[in-house]
Amino acid sequence: MSMFSFQAMSLKNKIFFSTLAVIMIISVIIALLARWILISGLSSELELRGVAVARSISERAGGHLLDKDYPALLSLLFEETRLRERQHMINYVFVTDRENAVLAHTFTRPFPDRLRHVNPIPARAEKSVRLLRINSSPAYDIGVPVREGIYRIGSVHVGLNKTHIDSLVAKLRFMFLGFISAVIVIIFGISHRLAQYITSPVTKLIAISDELSKGNFDVPIHLGPQQGGWDMSDCPAFQDANVPCWHFDDQVPGRAQDGEMHHGPLGKCRECTFYRRRSGDEVIQLADSYINMVWSIRLYRRRLQESEGKYRSLFNSGPDPIFVVDCSDYTILDANPRSEELYNYSKKDLVGLFFPDLCPDSAREFMDMFDEKTGQDGCIYFPKILQYKRGRKPFYVNIHACPISYRGRRAVILAATDITEMMEKDAQLIQASKMKTLGEMSAGIAHELNQPLNAIKMSSEYLVMIAESGRRVEEEKLLDLFGDISVQVDRATEIINNLRAFGRKATLRREQIDINAPIRGVLSILGKQFMLQDIDFRLELGESLPLVVAHDNRLQQVFFNILTNARDAIRERQSKSGTEFSGMIRIRTTGGAGQVTVSISDNGSGIPLHVRDKIFEPFFTTKESGQGMGLGLAICMGIIRDYKGSVEIGDSSAGGTEFKIYFPGAESGPGRTVDDKGQQHGKDSGNR
Amino acid sequence: MKKCFFLFLLFVMVPSCSPVENIEFDEITDNGISDGEIHIGSSLALDGYAGFLGRETLRGAMSYIKFINEQGGVYGRRIRVTAYDDGYDPPRCLANTQKLLIKDEVFALFCYVGTPTTVKILPLVEQARVPLVGMFTGANALREPFNRYLFSVRASYYEETGAAVRHMVRDLDMQRIAVFYQYDAYGFDGLTGAELALQEEGLAPVARGSYIRGTSNIEDGVNRIVASRAEAVVMIGTAGPCAAFIGACRDRGFNPLFYAVSFVGAEELARVLDDPDPPRVVMSQVVPPPEGPRTKELMACAGEYVTLLARYYPGEKPNYIGLEGYLNARVLVAGLKRAGRDLTREGFLSALESMGPLPLGGSSQISFGPRDHQGMDQVYFSTLVNGTFVLADDWSVSPDRGREGGGKTQ
Repeated sequence: MSMFSFQAMSLKNKIFFSTLAVIMIISVIIALLARWILISGLSSELELRGVAVARSISERAGGHLLDKDYPALLSLLFEETRLRERQHMINYVFVTDRENAVLAHTFTRPFPDRLRHVNPIPARAEKSVRLLRINSSPAYDIGVPVREGIYRIGSVHVGLNKTHIDSLVAKLRFMFLGFISAVIVIIFGISHRLAQYITSPVTKLIAISDELSKGNFDVPIHLGPQQGGWDMSDCPAFQDANVPCWHFDDQVPGRAQDGEMHHGPLGKCRECTFYRRRSGDEVIQLADSYINMVWSIRLYRRRLQESEGKYRSLFNSGPDPIFVVDCSDYTILDANPRSEELYNYSKKDLVGLFFPDLCPDSAREFMDMFDEKTGQDGCIYFPKILQYKRGRKPFYVNIHACPISYRGRRAVILAATDITEMMEKDAQLIQASKMKTLGEMSAGIAHELNQPLNAIKMSSEYLVMIAESGRRVEEEKLLDLFGDISVQVDRATEIINNLRAFGRKATLRREQIDINAPIRGVLSILGKQFMLQDIDFRLELGESLPLVVAHDNRLQQVFFNILTNARDAIRERQSKSGTEFSGMIRIRTTGGAGQVTVSISDNGSGIPLHVRDKIFEPFFTTKESGQGMGLGLAICMGIIRDYKGSVEIGDSSAGGTEFKIYFPGAESGPGRTVDDKGQQHGKDSGNR
Repeated sequence: MKKCFFLFLLFVMVPSCSPVENIEFDEITDNGISDGEIHIGSSLALDGYAGFLGRETLRGAMSYIKFINEQGGVYGRRIRVTAYDDGYDPPRCLANTQKLLIKDEVFALFCYVGTPTTVKILPLVEQARVPLVGMFTGANALREPFNRYLFSVRASYYEETGAAVRHMVRDLDMQRIAVFYQYDAYGFDGLTGAELALQEEGLAPVARGSYIRGTSNIEDGVNRIVASRAEAVVMIGTAGPCAAFIGACRDRGFNPLFYAVSFVGAEELARVLDDPDPPRVVMSQVVPPPEGPRTKELMACAGEYVTLLARYYPGEKPNYIGLEGYLNARVLVAGLKRAGRDLTREGFLSALESMGPLPLGGSSQISFGPRDHQGMDQVYFSTLVNGTFVLADDWSVSPDRGREGGGKTQ
């Protein structure tokens, strides 16, 4: 018999076997008890009767013993033992005398001698009972003394058959076996039916669960007695996602369907058409509970589908491209249709694409961000990122990056807003400003150009004079003159080139520039003019400064704006002080530790504190109306920010204003803004 | 789990096996047979007031047995009969029979006499499974319940009394019938038979009188019966007391028809009743008179009995009792012969049962069957005529019309 695990048996068999085991144990115990009671009872009964017979014989035998009337004794024995009922009970009787010699017996064969020694009666005993076997059938020998007065004159031994007891016990055993068999069959039937009643719905539930696990929510649930009217179309919450159903929404504590904080008890239909609980036994309640649960799942799924639909439609129909990028390997996991349109890739191409490939200039920045994003919350805003469409067509986007968990992976969701148009408008604005600047510059340029032109005119007039006078001039001197003319032409050309360079539309690509170059460029235009206006420059330009990623002419524009503002401030002070006031503008460039600092300080009238925050605002001007639109510094601010720089306004030691402009060095990496304390930020909170 | 199972078994089995003394002995099956001899035993009244019965029965039987032995016995085995006297005393009979079985180791029991004695040894017969053939008693207890070890040869008292009562009531128109009986099993048996027969006729005994076996204290019985003014008295007793009874009745002027069963003993009764004015006594017999005129046609073998008796017991007078004994011996020998050389008790029983009718000459025969262990059912009536009982064709003794008596009655 193999020992199979009790645990692994089906419920039906478990119930059956355990019930069976218990019943069998009880039955066996009862059987044994009954047998014991029966045997002991019957044996004692038999003993009693045997003793009674023996005593009866003993009382009447006394006389015959004394008379030595052995035939009478024998007759007595037979009389006593052959009465109808006793025939089967009494196997033999014999009487012995004092010396234990047999006087009479009821055998029809020679008396078995051993028999008279088997059960000796102790001296003072009234009886002696001994179990023995006569020819292998069990019997009791009951010995009783025959007395005359108090003295024993002999003894009577009655042999009682025990077989009828044994046959009774055997009958009992049979009966019990039959009974137990019947009980087993009944238990089998009952336990199976009971188990059936329990396991049948459980099995059905198992099957239904399996169906549900596979996603088949339309599997019909028929458990227990049929219930009518459980149709999902009756439930208003099913049809309309806005109807809060306590049974479903209960899982989100305090929140209603639309996500607003909801305090107090949640709504439910006054009479819920679906969630019912019938009265009945556990099986029926299980069935009801199950149906309720399945209903909840269906409802939830529907909600989820609607929600998913909603967000999917948002994702799909978003006006901006949206990417989901994996933090670990920087590949695109998902992209919405708009990104396909904008970037001119099919979704197939986009998914799996290495995201930094789309923006190689800012690749580093993004990868750092991705690495950082594993484990952080909060979003980052990347303004004016240069990205490339298919075919290496560049365009600008603002990117908003937020960390999410996408299918179990840490990812970042990036929304890109195409700002190319805006950038172009910006550029146009800058261009317009530039034009205005150019206009402003024209006076200076005129001054600047005048010089070489005058020099050339003077030289050429001198040559005419020499030619007309016919004087002989030394060749050396002639060469000087011509050389001078050439130099002046070069100078003029340089000025014009600067001008042209300034006026040119900026290229999209930034370059790595030495910060001193645009300073010198501007000075070449403005230098003379300022000198005429009694403004001196003091230059402290650093050597071997880190390069800055920017556009040369835009930086020129910035410096031009600041310098012109400085000039205006000095002139204001000049007009106020009245006396000869020589303006002084000091330009200092320093660098180190991955950043470059440009300091422009003047000794003008200064900027009052309350104005300092506002001067970079567009359309803010302290000048009288008509003198300036107030765009210049705003544009400068934009340009500086574009190059990840920052500006500080302070007082100069000469009583005017000091503009400190910081630019990050090319190696320090973009994406970090640096404050005056030299600390780096990762966040752009949007205010300054 | 297996361990528990075994322990459990042990727990159950052990109590049923306990060391207990076993007394073994063989049951006797077939004693008394040796190459040259078959040992038969008998215990009967050979002495005392009933000694006549025993002696005569034995003589009748031994006449035939000696004859057979003289011819070489049965299959070369001679029949040896050991007979003990029990004086018509049941305890003595019991002791004798036990001795016969244990000490003498007889093959079969034979020729027992008397109801109380024979009934007393029935337990021994059953226990020892020993055949008992031929009992000089018509007791019902030996016939019912059926006992396959007992073979009666003669009709029962019920049959005797029944026939008599029927004859008295139907033929002689008697209504008032009394019963006088010995106060023991024999007497009770006869009483019951008479009562049953009377009951059949819608009557009951008008009086019952009894005496104790071995005594002749009949006064009480006489008084009762005389007082009842019965027309007939059925007597179940022995010769002495019955004769005394008859005399006492006659002394009081009471002269009913006296009817005695066979056991009373015809010769003895006749002898004791020797009276010039004989009473009307009818006795039923189970065998015809050995030397009667009609015996030859009724039971011719009686002649052989007479002859053999004269041969082996010269001077002895043949009588009914002896004839019964002779018939007993005839049955015994027939059974032994039929059982064959490989003699066993069971074989002997089967042989007797399957024997088929044993012709006795004339119209008589003895037959047994698997459920019929009574050889004959005939009841003959004899009347006392001139000091002897002669077979009566009718009961012409009575002044009433005579009817045909005898023959097979039931």
